[in-house]
Amino acid sequence: MSVPAPDRFRQLILPSGAAIALLLYLAMYGIYASRTPSAFSLFGITNLLDNTVVLAIAAAGLTLVILTGELDLSGIGVISIANVVVATTSNGLGWFGALAVVLAIGLAIGLLNGWLVAVLGLQSLAATIGTMFACEGVALLILSAPGGEVADAIANGLTGDFAGVFPVAGVIIAGLFGVWALLARTRIGIAMYAVGADEHAARLSGLNVRRTKLIAFAFAGLAYAFAGYMLSAETGTGDPRGSDAFLLFMYASIAIGGTSLMGGRGGVFGSVVGAGILTVMQKMLFALGVAEFYTNIFNGIIMLVAIFIGNLAAIMARTGSAGTHSRLAKQQQDAI
Amino acid sequence: MAERNSVAAAEATASPEVPPARPWANVNPDLLPGLIVLVCAVLLMFATKALSPGSDLGQQLSAILVSSIFLVVASFGQGLAILLGGIDLSIGVVIGLGAMMISVLTNGSNQALPWAVSATLLSCTVIGLINGIGIAFGNVPPFIMTLASGITFFGVGLGFTSGMAQAPVAPMLQALMSSQWLGIPIPIYLIFAFLVLASLFQNGTVEGRKLYAIASSPGAARVLGLPIAGLTIAAYGISALCAGIAGLLLAGYSSAATLDMGNPLLLPTIAAVVIGGTRVTGGRGLYLGTFAGALFLSALETIITVLSLSQGLRDIIEGAIIVIALLLQRERRAAFRH
Repeated sequence: MSVPAPDRFRQLILPSGAAIALLLYLAMYGIYASRTPSAFSLFGITNLLDNTVVLAIAAAGLTLVILTGELDLSGIGVISIANVVVATTSNGLGWFGALAVVLAIGLAIGLLNGWLVAVLGLQSLAATIGTMFACEGVALLILSAPGGEVADAIANGLTGDFAGVFPVAGVIIAGLFGVWALLARTRIGIAMYAVGADEHAARLSGLNVRRTKLIAFAFAGLAYAFAGYMLSAETGTGDPRGSDAFLLFMYASIAIGGTSLMGGRGGVFGSVVGAGILTVMQKMLFALGVAEFYTNIFNGIIMLVAIFIGNLAAIMARTGSAGTHSRLAKQQQDAI
Repeated sequence: MAERNSVAAAEATASPEVPPARPWANVNPDLLPGLIVLVCAVLLMFATKALSPGSDLGQQLSAILVSSIFLVVASFGQGLAILLGGIDLSIGVVIGLGAMMISVLTNGSNQALPWAVSATLLSCTVIGLINGIGIAFGNVPPFIMTLASGITFFGVGLGFTSGMAQAPVAPMLQALMSSQWLGIPIPIYLIFAFLVLASLFQNGTVEGRKLYAIASSPGAARVLGLPIAGLTIAAYGISALCAGIAGLLLAGYSSAATLDMGNPLLLPTIAAVVIGGTRVTGGRGLYLGTFAGALFLSALETIITVLSLSQGLRDIIEGAIIVIALLLQRERRAAFRH
């Protein structure tokens, strides 16, 4: 199941799934903007990006883990901890102190996940359910009920714009693309694809599978923590259970963005666009006057459509069928 | 314990691939973790008595058992999906839909109950069949398929009901969950009947054995001509049916329904399956283990309530237990490999 070199190159630049997602995003944004005159104003754009940025960062982190062929459900737990830590400490520590503390926590949890999965060999889905529960518990211990206060420097500084020119959230998303563009070209970024596409082959060709997965989980932990920091900026308060809804949408963003949940195919770019689609779709449906419950139905259907397109793209990219069953066979081999 | 493990492992390796005449020879290695968890669950139940000496042991035991029935039923379906190497993330939504449908359809009267129950369970099963069709024929990963259908049908439910049932659940269903027979609450009889039926299905029928075969070696199953697609669809159908039943019971238990009342049960179903020793990559595991896992989680919940620990500590303990259970299984598998 090795990926031909030109294909991999194309994947790194702009995966086909992500290109389709981008078109979809632009179409939805067009419909939304045609009904809402303020959509093109700085205020409208800032508002849209503010709504997108938390999900985008979290989905970007999760994408790295998924590229290596593992799953991670601990994201909402880390977001919760980060949120309550910012809400309880940011007035004392200041914006930078709170950010540093939160990132350190995220890194620690990411490394713990990575250690459980990559070093001890636990199944990632089950192990990260465990760490997720534990993290949510810690968040509840820190702040047992919604409350707390986020420092003004964070709540105002990160949700506005730079001197009336450029939304802060836009800069952060651009930064996300920048980090990803660099990471995808490093040895570790390429190793993530290789490990996810075929762990066995990656090991045989001398890649350090453990280290690759450990680093992916660590990056993911950092991203969740930063997402929690941004969530605090958006809401201005702490809520130990405020992140629960993100779990499904993180995976939805990734699926829509054309990243394969089997690993080895996709990228952060698509996931961020996927997060954007989920956000702009709500705005579009609201602008069209569609009842709220349709949003859920559209969310579900759009995920399935994205998967079908992704499957088609995968079939075109590499002939031969490689679906659930061959993955099972691979896992079976690994287990034995 | 390592010695016992290696004995069990030796027996397993000695047994041939084809199911032998004595089914227990094949079952033994997976039975062990289930039994250990079951013993732990029972110990935990008695510990609640020790921690609150004033309380009545029988009453406390039956309270734990009655409150475990939703997890016991729903995690059977999750176990089947996981046995096939998949997962069912729509369970929480289907439980909520089942609870909502039964209270809206019965509207507080017993007359409508027969057809309302059938209509509810049928609708829930159809959701599962759709999941299975998407996975088997559409080649959609189970994770995505069930996640997407869960979100979609939650939207459908929201469209019909605005999220909260206005009507009370039929009195007969409420009575089922609260009345006793021979001094023992009826749900406890239901739990043990379910345990027997589910175990018989999973390990005693040809269909159940085929599920193991498909997950253990899809290639071999295909060569043998096993109906992989049909069994996959059936497994997800059964999973949604179980979730629907759990929804009915939950509606009867809490006498009012909300659309999102099943969501807190989703991750515990996965946890119960994992604690019970089923391998998340599929092909291994017994319902007895999952059953024990569900009892264990319910008992844990009760003991934490008795100790009046905070919700936060409860989550931390639950998370730690999942990881510990996984670590113990890893030891066992390591022993199995040598």
